[in-house]
Amino acid sequence: MVAPARTPLRTDRLRAVNAPKPVALEWDASGVLSVSKVGKIEAILETWRIDDEWWRQPIARAYMEVMLEGGKRLVLFQDLITGEWFSQMP
Amino acid sequence: MTSFRDIFGSHFDSEMSQRPTSVLAACVWIPLFPLRCEEARHEGLAGYPIALLAPDTTRKLWQVSPLARHAGVKPGMTVSQAIGLCPTLRLIEPDPVHYDEQFSKLLSALTEVSPVVEPAELGSAYVGTDGLEGIFGSPGKIIEAIKRMLESWNVGMSEAGSTVQHSNFPTFRLGFALGKFTAWVAASRAKRSEAIVVPIGEEQKFLASQPIAVLPLDPDIHRRLRQLGIRTLGALAALPEEAIAAQFGSVGRRLWLLAAGRITEPVVGRVSPEPIVAALAFFTPVGERELLSHSLDQLIARALRHPRRIGWRVHALRLRADLDGSGSWLATILLKDPSADAARIAAPLKIRLEQSPPTGAVERLVLEFTAFAPGTSELQLFARDAQAAARAGQQRALQSAAREIRMRIKRSSLYHIIEVQPWSRLPERRYALIDYEP
Repeated sequence: MVAPARTPLRTDRLRAVNAPKPVALEWDASGVLSVSKVGKIEAILETWRIDDEWWRQPIARAYMEVMLEGGKRLVLFQDLITGEWFSQMP
Repeated sequence: MTSFRDIFGSHFDSEMSQRPTSVLAACVWIPLFPLRCEEARHEGLAGYPIALLAPDTTRKLWQVSPLARHAGVKPGMTVSQAIGLCPTLRLIEPDPVHYDEQFSKLLSALTEVSPVVEPAELGSAYVGTDGLEGIFGSPGKIIEAIKRMLESWNVGMSEAGSTVQHSNFPTFRLGFALGKFTAWVAASRAKRSEAIVVPIGEEQKFLASQPIAVLPLDPDIHRRLRQLGIRTLGALAALPEEAIAAQFGSVGRRLWLLAAGRITEPVVGRVSPEPIVAALAFFTPVGERELLSHSLDQLIARALRHPRRIGWRVHALRLRADLDGSGSWLATILLKDPSADAARIAAPLKIRLEQSPPTGAVERLVLEFTAFAPGTSELQLFARDAQAAARAGQQRALQSAAREIRMRIKRSSLYHIIEVQPWSRLPERRYALIDYEP
């Protein structure tokens, strides 16, 4: 590895990679589900659920990996505590 | 040729007899040397809990400051573990080349006191003091002379561009005794910026009360000795030598001899190599600067490959040109920072070639490395060979690219990806970006 140099790296400058972005899901008139400002959902590829960290700040999420119109894949999840929807890269 | 390694890992061979040695030793020890180098060049850093990342790909912690240690952070931890324990922890990317350079300067400063200086590891060196009493006087005066040199080395760090207050510079500990081991133990027991002098003849008494952790032990032997209830060197030395040898083999016998003060390892200095000369004769005299510059690169590469250069950095060099006819041209360069990097060696010579070129066509070009600065075992890894030169080249290229990006978009947009919790089921917790400023 190239020894990178030496500027102190402050932990308050840590940036999360793949942070969840809030999104809105909506049904159009024809009954097709779409992600607001992103695109229509063609198919739901997989679903799973995570319940974690009940001992401090509980996390409960319902995930689904979807294929959008045009073939792009996206991970969506609903925060089951607040009801909000988020997107993430697969 | 016979060769062996002593307990400290120093390599001995038949050439040892040609090297200057000294049984009276002063051990200079700067604990957490790399971390102290960082504190010395970054203002305010010493007030925070800090940790250096390992200079490999594991991205684990290498060295940890006392403040961070107080919060439970330990070397070998992952970044996520450390941040979990100490959210205000500041992480620092390692800069091994800088640490090597500072250590080389430290060794150079120590050679002002004694010609017999032996580097042990980064931040630790032995100074042979046989005969120095004739110059400085008592061991206390010799210690004072070494302290003055360490102060001048600290000031040198300041002049190298640091804006940090003098009080933040690395603090040393000194030990003075007969033989390297006792000197090291004395240094390890000394307080900050102070020295412990073990009078000659009192080595056994001094060693007897020291903990066994001062021995060069592997963890397994350390554990077994503790299980046997042996806590001090005196307790170890009180056992029969043969019993220890039967339990722990030849390693155990050596440990017993050390604990009993029966081994007096001398400080073995290094002999500066003879000048290294590389020459190139042209079939037809050459006047083009580009060709001369190219020839210079070849000569430097050839001289750097010379076996005598291994383990040394070039400090002074001379380029001589025999000109068509009877004239000659000479450039003498003293490198501010000794280097084994071809580009850094070539740069001042090329500037000289540009600014005051030879007055005629060159028939023969001769390059001489005339003075050298010692390296350390760490230099073998980081800064003294072709691999290190390549590393330094990549580093400079990265710095240059980062500078250009900053100039164009007015902010840093380079990041390192580090593993934070790679096992996490939550994707955003697995990796993080930290600013990268080469």
